[in-house]
Amino acid sequence: MSHWSEATQDRAREIISRYPKKRSAVMPLLYLAMAEEGHLSSEGMEEVARWVEVTPAQVQAVASFYTMYKRERTGRYLISCCTSISCMLLGGDDVLHAIEDESGVPHGETDEKGLLTVEHVECLGACGGAPAVQVNYELIEGVTPDRARDLVRWLSGARPAVVNTDEMQELFGGVRSFDWGPKEGVGAIGPYPAFQPLGTVGSEGLP
Amino acid sequence: MIDHPTDSHTIERYEATGGYQQPPRALGMTRDELVETVKDSGLAGRGGAGFSTGLKWSFLAPSRPAYLVVNADESEPGTFKDRQLLERDPHQMLEGLIITGVANEVHHAFIYIRGEYPKPARRVQAAIDDAYARRYLGKGIFGTDYDLEVTVHLGAGAYICGEETALINSLEGLRGEPRLKPPYFPAAKGLYMQPTIVNNVETISALPHLLEMGAEAFSRLGHPLDTGTFMTSISGHVNHPGNYEIPHGITWRQLIYEVAGGIRGDRELKAWIPGGASAPWFVPAVHLDQQITKDVCAEAGSMLGSGAVIVMDETTCVIRAAERIVRFFAHESCGQCTPCREGTTWLEMVLRRLETGQGRPIDLDLMLDVSDGISIGLAWPPRMTTICPLGPSAVSPIIALRDFFRKEVMEHVELGRCPLERAEVVA
Amino acid sequence: MSDSVLITVDGKQIEAAPGEMLIKAAQDGGTYIPRFCWHERMNPVGMCRMCLVEVDGPRGPMMITACTNPVAEGMVVDTQNDTVKKAQEAVLEFLLANHPLDCPICDKGGECPLQDQAMSHGPGESRFVEIKRNFEKPISVSDLVLLDRERCILCARCTRFSEEISGDPLIEFMERGNVTEVNTFPELPFSSYFSGNTVQICPVGALTARPYRFRARPWDLTKVESSSLYDTAHPRISIHASQNQILRFIGVDNDATNHGWLSDKDRFGFQYIESKERLTSPLVNRGGELVEATWNEALDIVANRIELIRDEDGGGAFGVIGGARGTNEDAYALSKFARVVLETNNVDARVGDDLASHFLAATVDRALISDLDDADTILVWGPDLKEEHPTLYLRVRRAAQELGVTLVVIHPRATGLDDRAAHKLTYRPGGGFALLDDIAQGEHPDVSHALTAGKVVAIVGQACHADGPKLAESVAALARNKAGAVKIMPLARRANIYGALDMGLAPDLLPGRAAVDAIHCANLAATWGEIPTVPGRDTRRILEGLEDGDVRCLVLVGADPVRDLPDPRVAVEGLDTAEYLIAIDLFLNDSNRSADVILPASGFAEKEGTVTNVEGRVQKVNAIRPGPGQSRPDWAILADIAERTGRPLGLAAPDAISKEIAEVAPAYTGVTWDHLEWEARDGAVVPLSGSPPIHYIPVALAGPRPPKAALMLHVARTMYDDGVLLRQSPSLHPLAPGAVAHINPIDARKLGAQPGHPVQVVTKQGEGEFSVVIDEGTPAGVIFVPFNQVAGSALGTDPVVRVKAVAAK
Ligand SMILES: Cc1cc2nc3c(=O)[nH]c(=O)nc-3n(C[C@H](O)[C@H](O)[C@H](O)COP(=O)(O)O)c2cc1C
Ligand code: SF4
Ligand code: FES
Repeated sequence: MSHWSEATQDRAREIISRYPKKRSAVMPLLYLAMAEEGHLSSEGMEEVARWVEVTPAQVQAVASFYTMYKRERTGRYLISCCTSISCMLLGGDDVLHAIEDESGVPHGETDEKGLLTVEHVECLGACGGAPAVQVNYELIEGVTPDRARDLVRWLSGARPAVVNTDEMQELFGGVRSFDWGPKEGVGAIGPYPAFQPLGTVGSEGLP
Repeated sequence: MIDHPTDSHTIERYEATGGYQQPPRALGMTRDELVETVKDSGLAGRGGAGFSTGLKWSFLAPSRPAYLVVNADESEPGTFKDRQLLERDPHQMLEGLIITGVANEVHHAFIYIRGEYPKPARRVQAAIDDAYARRYLGKGIFGTDYDLEVTVHLGAGAYICGEETALINSLEGLRGEPRLKPPYFPAAKGLYMQPTIVNNVETISALPHLLEMGAEAFSRLGHPLDTGTFMTSISGHVNHPGNYEIPHGITWRQLIYEVAGGIRGDRELKAWIPGGASAPWFVPAVHLDQQITKDVCAEAGSMLGSGAVIVMDETTCVIRAAERIVRFFAHESCGQCTPCREGTTWLEMVLRRLETGQGRPIDLDLMLDVSDGISIGLAWPPRMTTICPLGPSAVSPIIALRDFFRKEVMEHVELGRCPLERAEVVA
Repeated sequence: MSDSVLITVDGKQIEAAPGEMLIKAAQDGGTYIPRFCWHERMNPVGMCRMCLVEVDGPRGPMMITACTNPVAEGMVVDTQNDTVKKAQEAVLEFLLANHPLDCPICDKGGECPLQDQAMSHGPGESRFVEIKRNFEKPISVSDLVLLDRERCILCARCTRFSEEISGDPLIEFMERGNVTEVNTFPELPFSSYFSGNTVQICPVGALTARPYRFRARPWDLTKVESSSLYDTAHPRISIHASQNQILRFIGVDNDATNHGWLSDKDRFGFQYIESKERLTSPLVNRGGELVEATWNEALDIVANRIELIRDEDGGGAFGVIGGARGTNEDAYALSKFARVVLETNNVDARVGDDLASHFLAATVDRALISDLDDADTILVWGPDLKEEHPTLYLRVRRAAQELGVTLVVIHPRATGLDDRAAHKLTYRPGGGFALLDDIAQGEHPDVSHALTAGKVVAIVGQACHADGPKLAESVAALARNKAGAVKIMPLARRANIYGALDMGLAPDLLPGRAAVDAIHCANLAATWGEIPTVPGRDTRRILEGLEDGDVRCLVLVGADPVRDLPDPRVAVEGLDTAEYLIAIDLFLNDSNRSADVILPASGFAEKEGTVTNVEGRVQKVNAIRPGPGQSRPDWAILADIAERTGRPLGLAAPDAISKEIAEVAPAYTGVTWDHLEWEARDGAVVPLSGSPPIHYIPVALAGPRPPKAALMLHVARTMYDDGVLLRQSPSLHPLAPGAVAHINPIDARKLGAQPGHPVQVVTKQGEGEFSVVIDEGTPAGVIFVPFNQVAGSALGTDPVVRVKAVAAK
């Protein structure tokens, strides 16, 4: 018996239907489970196990392999700062320190209000726009330590319902890896990628 | 670099510039004709291994269903070309996907996009929806009775899932651990143990052009031994980082100083990595005037790999750079193979000690010996003690320390700190 | 493809089977390639990288793992050169880098491949000066198994075992890279019936078994090989003892049966042998109390009483129940004792195993366990193999999962094999015959089709008491009619039941699968003298006879009918009214507590002999030490009584008995102890040959129609219960489910029953209170109650049941 809402169950069924074999749906369903609770709980993994008919241990084996399934309570905004080689060369570490300092949240932790989680991550595929930062996986390139502080202040103050890559890039970004084209009003509403229907609405002005 | 109109990702713009002309032609050709065409064109994979695409297709085992997986897991430090193709030209990739699918009798294709690429994934999904609406995908594509379904699958943060067999495990809902070889190619046994073609986004995106130009014309692009253009992602201390579509055969000097606009703040070039974080490093004194081709690069003991070039100027601490790269591989090791799991972390720990001034004189030799245990003889391409090349890739920076920066390592030991002044970042 | 390929290993030519892994081929050819993760009975993972060798490739020498690469004609392999040495040394150094230095206090110390390799290939002092990986010290992964993750070398043997072999993937790799660890899901322990195997195959001391942690050091053990009797497949074991105390059982790889695997019951169930409650002295009833007596006293009392009754009423006044727990030699002595001394055929080793004795002992064609591997279809219509026949369960699972055999499972509820079954049918308790008719009439075309395809093995037994004992035989008959080539494996579950039947411990059987009739009795006359020629009473009718007074004296040999019969009323009443009760046993139990004389027997691991398993395979069991106190083997006790009644059995020692068996039961000819100890290490199958065995062909019989009732009772055994041996095994007894009743969520809602709350269950034959388990594996309309549990009342065999929720206390 599912603990998920009817709507979520429908999405689960839809996701499973995309694959020739049920078990392939483990990863998208894990995102769906995260979207239900904001992080991946034991109950969430058990639920996924039921949907794809494997044991919870098998689900956790998968979930714990990947970095984006957050099994600890995670803030509404997950700030991921790249410190891999190209970003490091252009000051990624300084950006990280600025974020940690401004938010008071060190790497891997979440503030008491449950608003911000800060982490440093490996390469985000934005090396041409180094240093890069993501908020709920929405990308900002060409970030400086000062802009990073602004970003933290904005998230804590304005608390946007949806974070949107184009908007943040304009507010806090600089050099980009390449030109992204027109702005889009789609973004993330939680610490998981904004992609339908993996457990995110992530739309502003979209149907 | 191709100039993108702002709406390059829309189906309208794509069609207006001649898009989706090739699938009907492919549908009219036999599998053998298509495979031969791609073979003759000399197209090599752009995912890192550089294997002949046509040859790979020809390995497809006869059992059906066959599957196609587009590898859009792009996670190698320095690499960001696929993101641009996904975000700005999703239809080009879809058109290539259709051609590849048809050539390999595939009726269900997957696009595995790394989880940290939500925007590219959204663009691709929107493109797929539009293509379905025009019956370029789905049941009976292009008015034929050929069916082709496409599913986008998001990764969740694991570089190793770019390795094609790990990617397949991941797609099956398993841990992203590379599979044992043999079989050497998923074309024999891949997704659900069925024949599977895995190709990189860029490889797939080249197909519409290849088919349009014909094999012969395509093979005349670039270098005779290394045909077609390829995308290189340049990052680090250059004035104009970015993706550049270049023909094989120009020199590193041209790439770094002309294409990428030279070093920021007019500093000296210290070293660069020619093919993503996995590749052994190059230094100006030896390599600057060498041609950019697979063979020249291989002869010099490195590779073009994923086409990512990471440029380091004179202010770069090589220990720190090496530590960052080794840390990446240690973090991304799937953990199956003893040498990779234990060795990469060991190297990372020693490098961290050196960086923080706690190095010992024997540490370089220790690191070389540890590296030797992961990649016997420290050659390139490596003689692997592991299932996949991730572990052996982690030793590339150690080879660089041995070959070019022994003195700088020893200075770290002797001074108990980094000998370089910490320099300002040049914006 | 040819039958063999030629390869060169270190300059030496070796012949190998095509497709065989290099590591195995080299080993068989005399070259040991070091390894940690490879295990012969599991798929290779090539993770430890210890088995790297160099082979000549098209582009020069290539490093490959010997465990993942099959041999190929002309392969040239170097396992010794500098490159290989460097690689192996590096792997060892990497493995040891984070490995704790606690060998002196590690259970594995002295038999640890890592320790051994480190001695022979290792670098000596560690160059790893960084901080070692740190994990919380041993954590429980189950009630029986502890895991020390710091010692773990991530070879994936345990995780593979749970996934590939036992089919309960509850223990997995978690995290990745350098922090990868083996673990379970939080609060979902590795509660596998097979968990102990992971301890045995762990190449280091990471997994340890609670029942023998810190108990022994490998170097002061004495060892002897034997076969476990907990499971009628008789998996092969090695018994380890120290100073006459049994410490552990280890699975021995036997191709024919267990492949080295053991259920936890087979592995840890030995604890009863060392129980303080073992009977150590004869006991006689004096004024309603059992008091110790000397053997002389006790035997005289017994012999006198037997003579008295025999003189007054003849053999019809005796009954013998039991004899399935001992060796064939014991069973033979008992069989002869019953006929020669007691002059009766009222003898039965089946207690709760109700299939016809001829069907169990003499069916043609009888399946071998190895037939499972090359069957096209396996039909399992009988008990849940995972609960009652663990070795067969593993073999059937392997056939279905790894060898592509089509599996058909038919049972009243979910079973442990369902996830591998191509077809699964579920039916209402008591509805077995109706379903069988449906199948015969083609209503389940998938199943019919599977049964007609090629080679079929039908494993049949009692799935459900409500169907009665005849269903299994009818199923076999149906399979026989459908399939071209069918082999049948009729199931019974008590220890050495097949051996006991082969020795004639049934009212209508004589040794060697011969029928009780004038001709066959005459054949035995030379060794047995004159014996009764009319078949006797079976277990149930002996007990009824006790109640009627027709049977005056009962001999109970290692049997507890009060606990073992599904409807124990007849046993309770029979034993209550019995005039004289003689028991031979290891323990006091609910049936023998009221005996007139109890004689202490020596048991498993305390005596030598042979046993016969479900496929008719005879194996040798051995003694590692004598029985406790004054206990003696059954045969010796019986021989002494016989002597005193003036009818000596002429049996002097177990090996002499085995020779007599070979004479009177021609199928056993040639199955000598010597043969079993030297040539036939995997045992010898006794064929249905020689004269005069029965060749029994199963027949379709009529059976009960399902009664109509809203809720039907299904009673079946689970792996762990309140049987007397498990009660004396402190590690396992707590794992029994207890007095529980499984119901479907739908019924739970109807009844208003909450998990863990009590319900009252009433049948025609019994009633009791059980605590509710909500279980989707039990179909709606069925209530499943595990048999013989602590505080669980017997509910009998009638499926009609009334259930009502009781207010929780
Ligand atoms: C550790 C590792 C990571 C890889 N990552 C990627 C990747 O992110 N994207 C990619 O296309 N190929 C990657 N590859 C290469 C793939 O295994 C595979 O060769 C490629 O997808 C084949 O496509 P191609 O023939 O079109 O290049 C990686 C290989 C290894 C060993
Ligand atoms: S080399 Fe590393 S990443 Fe590759 S399979 Fe082995 S452990 Fe995994
Ligand atoms: S034994 Fe071959 S890799 Fe472990």
